Amino acid sequence: MTKFMLLGLFDNVTTTATVVGEVRDLGIKDSEMEIMSNIPYASNIFGRKTPRQWFLPFALGGMAVGVLIAFFMSYITPRLYPIEVGGQGLTPVPPSAIMYFEFMALFTMLGAFVGFLLQNRFPILVRQMYDERITEGYIGVQVLAPSEAVMEQVVKVFENHHAAVVKREDAAGFPNQGMRHLLFWGGLGAAGLVAVLVPLLLTYDVVRLPWINTMKDTVVVKAQEGPRRAAPPDAVPIQGPVLIAGQPATERLPDTPESRERGAALFSINCAMCHGPAGNGEGVVGLKHFPETPPLDGERAAALSDDAIFLVITNGKNRMPSLAENLSPGDTWDIVNYVRSLGGAPAEAGQ
Amino acid sequence: MLESRADSSPFWQPHDPEDEHLAEQVEHGREEHLLLDPLPPAENNAIVLESMNQTGKAFWMAVLGLGGLTLAFLATWIVQIFSGIGVTGLNRSVMWGPYIANLIYFIGIGHAGTFISAALRLLRMDFKRPIARAAELITLFGLAVAALFPIIHVGRIWKLFYMMPIPNQRELWPNFRSALFWDMTAITTYIIGSTLFMYLALLPDLAMARDHSTGWRRKIYRTLALGWRGTEGEWHKMESTSNILSYVIIPVMFSVHTGVSWNLAMSIQPGWHSTVFGPFFVAGALFSGVAAVILVMIVIRKTMRFGYFLREEHFNAMGLFLLIMSFTWIYFYFAEWITNWYGNLPMEKAIQRMLTGDLAPLFYLMLFANIVVPVGTLWSRRVRTSLPAMFVICVFIQIGMYIERVVIVSGFLSRNELPFNWVNYTPHLPEVLITIGTFGFLALMYLLATRVVPIIPLWEVYEGQAMQATRRIGRAILPTRTESH
Repeated sequence: MTKFMLLGLFDNVTTTATVVGEVRDLGIKDSEMEIMSNIPYASNIFGRKTPRQWFLPFALGGMAVGVLIAFFMSYITPRLYPIEVGGQGLTPVPPSAIMYFEFMALFTMLGAFVGFLLQNRFPILVRQMYDERITEGYIGVQVLAPSEAVMEQVVKVFENHHAAVVKREDAAGFPNQGMRHLLFWGGLGAAGLVAVLVPLLLTYDVVRLPWINTMKDTVVVKAQEGPRRAAPPDAVPIQGPVLIAGQPATERLPDTPESRERGAALFSINCAMCHGPAGNGEGVVGLKHFPETPPLDGERAAALSDDAIFLVITNGKNRMPSLAENLSPGDTWDIVNYVRSLGGAPAEAGQ
Repeated sequence: MLESRADSSPFWQPHDPEDEHLAEQVEHGREEHLLLDPLPPAENNAIVLESMNQTGKAFWMAVLGLGGLTLAFLATWIVQIFSGIGVTGLNRSVMWGPYIANLIYFIGIGHAGTFISAALRLLRMDFKRPIARAAELITLFGLAVAALFPIIHVGRIWKLFYMMPIPNQRELWPNFRSALFWDMTAITTYIIGSTLFMYLALLPDLAMARDHSTGWRRKIYRTLALGWRGTEGEWHKMESTSNILSYVIIPVMFSVHTGVSWNLAMSIQPGWHSTVFGPFFVAGALFSGVAAVILVMIVIRKTMRFGYFLREEHFNAMGLFLLIMSFTWIYFYFAEWITNWYGNLPMEKAIQRMLTGDLAPLFYLMLFANIVVPVGTLWSRRVRTSLPAMFVICVFIQIGMYIERVVIVSGFLSRNELPFNWVNYTPHLPEVLITIGTFGFLALMYLLATRVVPIIPLWEVYEGQAMQATRRIGRAILPTRTESH
């Protein structure tokens, strides 16, 4: 015998309650009726029993999962990978309490939500009897009529109470969705679990991959250990340049008239007060030094290489302060070029 | 004589008494109270759905402006990643600057959402009905933006996996004895819990949107509504789930900002090492959060034409809530300071330079914004129900609470036990741009969400309207509460 699914819409509560009573009188069980509304009406308003629900197992189950995770976090992991911190045990009580609280709270909420989804069989993946006017405030009464005769009687009840809409369809058009939602959430949950567990298997060393993940396994060169590696061409020593035989201190500027001109200007600012405007060691300050400031046009200066002069300017020597903060390497080379022009040996760059 | 609206006619049909005197009172009640002024749900649905479809010139201008701020934030962040955290003004002593202050601030404004929807729900406060969703959205986006800041703050973003709570040979994680890990666990729990809580209450409204929209929206809503029809079983289970989530999420909410405060208080930095920091931060979070909710209420009321839903009574109630939170904050701040002052420890005295030193302007602005402004004005119902006044007050409170966080983080760090470590902190351009940019980012996400998410929890409003009743006593008609539980 074909069963029929009926839906009637009513615009107020009292009528709906009356209809529910009259349909029940036709021999239809409460479980074959369904009431839909856009407001959470309590069931006793329609003279029906409150629907049954089971949230305790879900909430408690979630809580148990939270306890296990917190235990794992605060007891197992510190023993697998102990970290000694002064004055604290591996599993001190106050931080453990925080872990238990947070994970229990999180998984109680997740458990309750899963309970909500599963008990309502969400998401509904099959066709359902519904009318869009329910979200406009109408109250829908869905009835599963076991036969055509009963269906006619129910329709009569609906019409007597001025139902706004009456729908009737073959109940075969509304299949039970069975386990489909379980498959949906099961698949999603399994995928999520895999996504969480696979990295954990790796990090807890359950699965060991031969990758270099510790600093102790990387290549190290100890202090004073040879061979000394060449510095990249543009490297600048941070503690000031050091003269290395046969190597330029930094890349030098070519000795050009422009460079000497700049050098002359910088010389008058930075050097002339001691070495003298002419570089002969008779500066205003230099004359008061003991031992006296060396002249820059004599043999002593001529004996120095350009790089050595560069380093003296940069690092200072004896009473001469370092000028590294005042002069850039380029400025220093300009001064070297200028000093060379004062006398002594010709610049090395020309050779 | 009890007259329930939902009794024998649709709840939205008026029962106007014939007596002129009584009819006047009924009319007055409708003007005052949302729950006494039901419209047909079809009309209310249309108001909310139209407001979501409203994408006029002003909307796109706002998207453009906020998008520009978001781009500025992203560009600055990229520059900071390439050149290192040194481009900011952070230095050796002040290694926690505005980024951490922003983290605290954004988590803070997220607190009001849960408090309003969970605590006021359990207390059955009717005024929260049209507000709850707007507040919950602030929670979600506030937390999302806050979660960005540890990432921005670490500088070397490619080392981000150090934050993951997985054991490894570096033996850094999961050290559950670290306050940072407590905080991270609490924030994660809170984000997941408040998302579930919001989604649960959203289901009936998603079903409403599914039923009355077309095109791509209908497809999205149909998927998200999970097949909700509003059967007795569904409603009943939603009620139970909401109860469970409410009971659990309220302590979690307290734990989140306590966790944030413990990041500071578990160190021995003078000014931070204080037992009062947990509740003090929670009070501050609720204070700035309630102010943020009021700001959002004002903006959505003005721009989305929600004058019907968000009425004077709601601003009045929220203003009172704000006043109470202001008192609470004042109490905690005073309690923290008087302990320092009385203890008179040399290193803790250094922080008292706020009273006269270089931080004094910020400090007094904060006191003005957090104490003088709310306490001086919110006692008046006229102020509480005036939107421009509330807007100004809430902006002041945001500024005050932001300063409070910056002063606590950077101000206290700049004076520690060793005087050779004393430095002052001045923000550089990157922090300023990233901070302003993230405010824009938050506003942009909120703006876009208001076009997709039904921002008024309609079913809660309908429930309130259907269950609301009036009672006639003598010559007066008075509202009464009805509960169907």
